[in-house]
Amino acid sequence: MKRRRFLQALSTAPAVPALVQQAGAQQAPATVPAPAAPGRGGRGGATGQVPHIPVGTPDDSADTVAKFFTTGQFATLKKLAGILVPPVKGNVGALDTDAPEFLDFLIGASPAETQTLYRNGLDGLNASARRKFAKAFSEIDAKQADEILKPLLVQVPWVYDLPKDPMKHFVYQVHSDLRTATRNSPEANKAAANTGRRGGGGAGLFWNPIDPV
Amino acid sequence: MPKKEYDVLIVGSGHSGGMAANILTKKGISCLMLNAGPEADYQRDRTTKAAHELPYRGFNKPGRLPHVYQANEFNANQWVDEKENPYTHDPAKPYNWVRVRLLGGRSLFWARQSFRLSDLEFKAAEIDGGGDSWPISLDDLAPFYSRVEEIFHVTGRKEGWPQFPDGNFIEQNYPPDSRTIQKVTELCKTRGIGVSKMRSSQGEGGLASSINLLLPAAVDTGKLEVVSNAIVREITVDKKTGKANGAFFIDRHSKREMHVGAKVVILAAGTLESTRLLLNSGIANSSGVLGHYLHDQIYGVSVVASVPEARDGKAKPGMMGGSAFIPRFRNLSKAKKSSFIKGYCAIIGSGGSASPNHFAAYGEELQAKLDSYQGSCVSGSIYGERTVKFENHVRVNKEVKDAWGIPVLHIDVKDTPNEFAMAKDAADTFEELFKDAGWEILSKTDKFYPPGYSIHEVGTARMGNNPKTSVLNKWCQSHDIKNLFVVDGSSFVTCGWQNPTMTILALSMRASEYLAEELRKGNV
Ligand SMILES: Cc1cc2nc3c(=O)[nH]c(=O)nc-3n(C[C@H](O)[C@H](O)[C@H](O)COP(=O)(O)OP(=O)(O)OC[C@H]3O[C@@H](n4cnc5c(N)ncnc54)[C@H](O)[C@@H]3O)c2cc1C
Repeated sequence: MKRRRFLQALSTAPAVPALVQQAGAQQAPATVPAPAAPGRGGRGGATGQVPHIPVGTPDDSADTVAKFFTTGQFATLKKLAGILVPPVKGNVGALDTDAPEFLDFLIGASPAETQTLYRNGLDGLNASARRKFAKAFSEIDAKQADEILKPLLVQVPWVYDLPKDPMKHFVYQVHSDLRTATRNSPEANKAAANTGRRGGGGAGLFWNPIDPV
Repeated sequence: MPKKEYDVLIVGSGHSGGMAANILTKKGISCLMLNAGPEADYQRDRTTKAAHELPYRGFNKPGRLPHVYQANEFNANQWVDEKENPYTHDPAKPYNWVRVRLLGGRSLFWARQSFRLSDLEFKAAEIDGGGDSWPISLDDLAPFYSRVEEIFHVTGRKEGWPQFPDGNFIEQNYPPDSRTIQKVTELCKTRGIGVSKMRSSQGEGGLASSINLLLPAAVDTGKLEVVSNAIVREITVDKKTGKANGAFFIDRHSKREMHVGAKVVILAAGTLESTRLLLNSGIANSSGVLGHYLHDQIYGVSVVASVPEARDGKAKPGMMGGSAFIPRFRNLSKAKKSSFIKGYCAIIGSGGSASPNHFAAYGEELQAKLDSYQGSCVSGSIYGERTVKFENHVRVNKEVKDAWGIPVLHIDVKDTPNEFAMAKDAADTFEELFKDAGWEILSKTDKFYPPGYSIHEVGTARMGNNPKTSVLNKWCQSHDIKNLFVVDGSSFVTCGWQNPTMTILALSMRASEYLAEELRKGNV
């Protein structure tokens, strides 16, 4: 697939050889190609149209290596992902989009406060499952998970006024993060494009770094 | 090579600097504009991307731009980098300073809501005793507002209400209001609250900025030179005359230091940057009020309701959709007092959907709720006037420097009980209104964002007639240094509930015409 797109791009490259264009632009005699001035011509010095090479994102070809959470925490996060954001009505679910793996990366790169919220939250859910059902959170069934999670759910009318209770805060945060990671995944984008339905994160105008120092 | 000396040095290229350049160059006055950042190339610097193509899937890089709640991963590069250009505050007194250093400044990204102040604000001291009055009235500024509205192509509905002065608006044919907006209007009427429409700058091609509406005409005169990536660090003063004579600036890339000479200096770097520059230069502060009276507006208070008849896709045509704008309706006269002074405006939107945060649910149950409430919501949110207080101030923090070695600002602002009382009143009012309409309240919050969030920071070099209590006179001219002007929001005495840009533009236009005349007479 990638190779085919590469060839397509090449076939749309300009028919006029780049050298002729470059010489024309520099007004050099038609018969003698002008020597490349330092920093122009040669490597990196194209002045004509350059073929566009299509490139993909890492998610197109590879899997995230989860390495921030402990094995137990990550198993809890995966279980949570399946429960909080399941595939509903043809939408992709969190597990279809590797949202837990993505959050492992994101939280690993986040400020310490967020990391603590997540680690304590995941450990807290696990401890609660062990206390109530003598099992790891990752091993309980949907009904048992509801029993633990439902009392921790709260309405959050104001996103900068989060629940004071750390477990309620965590459940709000992980739910919200899993939804975003799922909606903004390549899989959700592809599913939305295929079905013509809303649901993918969609596209936006991205500002590149502007003349960085 | 002999140094050039310009008639006027303008620091900053946003709405305020753009207006100064536009007016002065058309009168044949030579101007140099220095702008701290680069130019954006709308073709080269923007790309359409899907959220999943961004490095953090649209979450934004963790910890980047902690104060800019408006930032997301798509627009992160447009804002000032907080690491390169930090500021400090007590953690218990957060302040969100939202800055853009591109050529054109924040005029590239503003939301274009365009209001005049009224005499309720200009003459605040006489009306509610809260805060001070400006040394000018609406009559003084009205002709300038009219010209600004023409340049910016402002649309709005004329109402004839003193608290919401009409302007030189492009008349619009508003589509008939949806039944939910009609309902809000009726219920407001019974409470003596006037309901209007948003007033907004249309600009040209979706842009109402200095780079398309103000600077091109200035460039055409041949009298304007613009230098980008020029970070002004100090205004220089001639020791003999006591007059400003130019500025030191630093090249953003190389950090090379330069000096430029000018007969007059105009600061238009945005309220807090202009104030920082004056404080770092140690000038224009014989009053001791430079940096004080920083204020803006409270944002965030909101009530969301759902219209039962519009749920489950059952909304009939004409029931949902559209919006309304409610200008300040509290404390309009001395006689009518509430539990707080000043007031707030409100924006009503109809036809929105509920957010997942509205429901304590997940999985299929949550999806069912979201589907059911889709398109059935009406929301009310406010912009409220913050108290103007001497104690709310900025000062230079010599311990912390930006990437160019310039001392940063320390911002010290705290809300007062008035803000909390106002927010509670607003939330209660719209909850009651929506309940009276028979709608289900989904959320109500009387919480609001930290100061600065509104991006309407003003007041730190206030104008006044008394040089002992103000930094600038009514022409935005320094009391201390006659050839120094500050034409951004620094000069405000109070910002009211209104978004400030129309007023900034009108003040800059007025100050620039005054300056041109003073130059002609040889007075500066
Ligand atoms: C997202 C957003 C929405 C908004 N919506 C509205 C709205 O609906 N209605 C409204 O009225 N207002 C709105 N505003 C606010 C409005 O944009 C500002 O009030 C207005 O643009 C301020 O103009 P200014 O010229 O004073 O400052 P700025 O636009 O900040 O321009 C200052 C310029 O000075 C330059 N500068 C700063 N420091 C230096 C230095 N040391 N040396 C050289 N140059 C320097 C900067 O590069 C910048 O270009 C909004 C702002 C934003 C960001």
